[in-house]
Amino acid sequence: MVKVKICAGSHCSLVGALNILETLEELQKEYPDQIQIERVECLDKCEDIKKAPVVKVDDELITSAQNQIVISKVMERIK
Amino acid sequence: MSKLKGIYTDIVKIRRMVFAELAGLALKDAKCEEFDKIPYRIIDTEEATYRSSIFKERAIVAARVRMGLGMDYEINQEHKLLSEGIRDFLNNDNQLKEPLVNVIRFACEKCPTNAHFVTNNCRKCLAHPCSIVCPVDAVSIEEHAAVIDQEKCINCGKCKEACPYEAIVNYERPCAAACGVGAIESDDYNRARINQNKCVSCGQCIIACPFGAIADKSMIYQLLKSINRGEDVRAIIAPSFVGQFGPLVSAEKIVAALKKLGMKEVREVSLGADFASLHEAELFAEDVPEEQPYLGTSCCPSWTYIADKHVPEVRENISESSSPMIFAAQSVKENNQDSKVVFIGPCVSKKLEALSKKVKDEVDFVITFEELAAIFVAADIELTKVDAEEEINDASYYGRAYANAGGVAEAIRQNLKEKYEIDPPITKADGLADCKKTLMKAKAGVLEGHLIEGMACEGGCVGGPGTLLATNRGAKNVSKFADQSPYKFAFENDKLNETDK
Repeated sequence: MVKVKICAGSHCSLVGALNILETLEELQKEYPDQIQIERVECLDKCEDIKKAPVVKVDDELITSAQNQIVISKVMERIK
Repeated sequence: MSKLKGIYTDIVKIRRMVFAELAGLALKDAKCEEFDKIPYRIIDTEEATYRSSIFKERAIVAARVRMGLGMDYEINQEHKLLSEGIRDFLNNDNQLKEPLVNVIRFACEKCPTNAHFVTNNCRKCLAHPCSIVCPVDAVSIEEHAAVIDQEKCINCGKCKEACPYEAIVNYERPCAAACGVGAIESDDYNRARINQNKCVSCGQCIIACPFGAIADKSMIYQLLKSINRGEDVRAIIAPSFVGQFGPLVSAEKIVAALKKLGMKEVREVSLGADFASLHEAELFAEDVPEEQPYLGTSCCPSWTYIADKHVPEVRENISESSSPMIFAAQSVKENNQDSKVVFIGPCVSKKLEALSKKVKDEVDFVITFEELAAIFVAADIELTKVDAEEEINDASYYGRAYANAGGVAEAIRQNLKEKYEIDPPITKADGLADCKKTLMKAKAGVLEGHLIEGMACEGGCVGGPGTLLATNRGAKNVSKFADQSPYKFAFENDKLNETDK
């Protein structure tokens, strides 16, 4: 089970977190037992907006997260 | 709907960063020279990432800065610092002017206009039905593949349908494809040009352009300066606002955050929707079909502009009732005459509506959800960390559902049923092209007795270009928030005066 924490704060939402969340939820439909998504409040890593959005895949912290990076990290762990 | 709607791309990122920079400078009361630094802060690489050179990338950001301030994007042909033009503007008119939606011409990559192309899927097959079915003999079989003579081609699509290998594609300019009223033309250099006589300022082309070459103007700076001067600024927020600032941010938190930003009051525009649906039900009951053959709703400005510019014969049958924005603004100003009202919504064309003679004294600023989210970042307000929650309860179920396609007509219909025992036939136009088609039908006389709802953005206001959320998600949030209203019908809303019900 891969645990993904995604910041659902307003800073991260401005710079693409909503899009990542949506993609992850689509992916979860394909792997319902292997991905757990938790939307969390601000993880306090986005003091500089360039570091947002912030996502945590298991213990790995990803700043300036992008769709394709988050998905590939998740897929690595599923395989 | 444009394929790019709801996808976070670098274009979206740059647009939002420009908004955040402008908001930051306004909040700091920064000097004009500071504007010169924005293109360098946003394009801070050593080499170009997106275009032929970083100089061009920065020039485009500079154009966005100018438009973000409400100015024309045009960079003069003479040498002039960005800040010099800005100083002139801020010291003189300091007011957004038409045209609202503009192609930044040097950012346009001159995409080919509507055309059929043969891709390398072509196997140069023996049957080559593409050339046989072509009615104008435009397809020839050359050395390696079929070739379409663009001079002869009439874009009928027969070759595309006949090809067994799906080798022929129909290629459209994304901006022009998104424009349901045919307002996008080409200039002498083959760049996209918006014909302002046709444009209804809906903003769909802004979302659709994959090179980020189209932008609208904004009032972020003027709004924040007004708050800084200590003016009594009050917000009215459109019904599609729920969930736009992240899934953990409740409506109550959004209100609290707006107050933290300096707004004295926050009201739901849905309150105005309750006014509007009652008013339009009354108009329908009184006038249709005796005085007028059908009634078109009034809340979407682009829809009414389509009537103005494309089908003027039907304009008199589109309700003259004020939009929910105007009603909501009036209800705020009634009690606070010296206040300034900012409309916060998903909509680009509301900016234009607010400039009109009828409305400019009611609504002082219009900003989008996207622009507001950037303002929150600049003001360092993280909504999930705002402790306070402020109740917001201004509207009925049907008023709140105005933001979804079909919601406007449904609200009016419910009033008609409950108050006048009329259940009219309803026609819903969803999206720009559908709006125009529907108005043509109305003109032809086939919609007699109908209540006609027009929404220029597909899906309704939740599909507006100023949203952050994908359209379907926005729609779900709107429905959920509507369910929480203590009132079902507009006439049950305690916030309305008895005389309005």
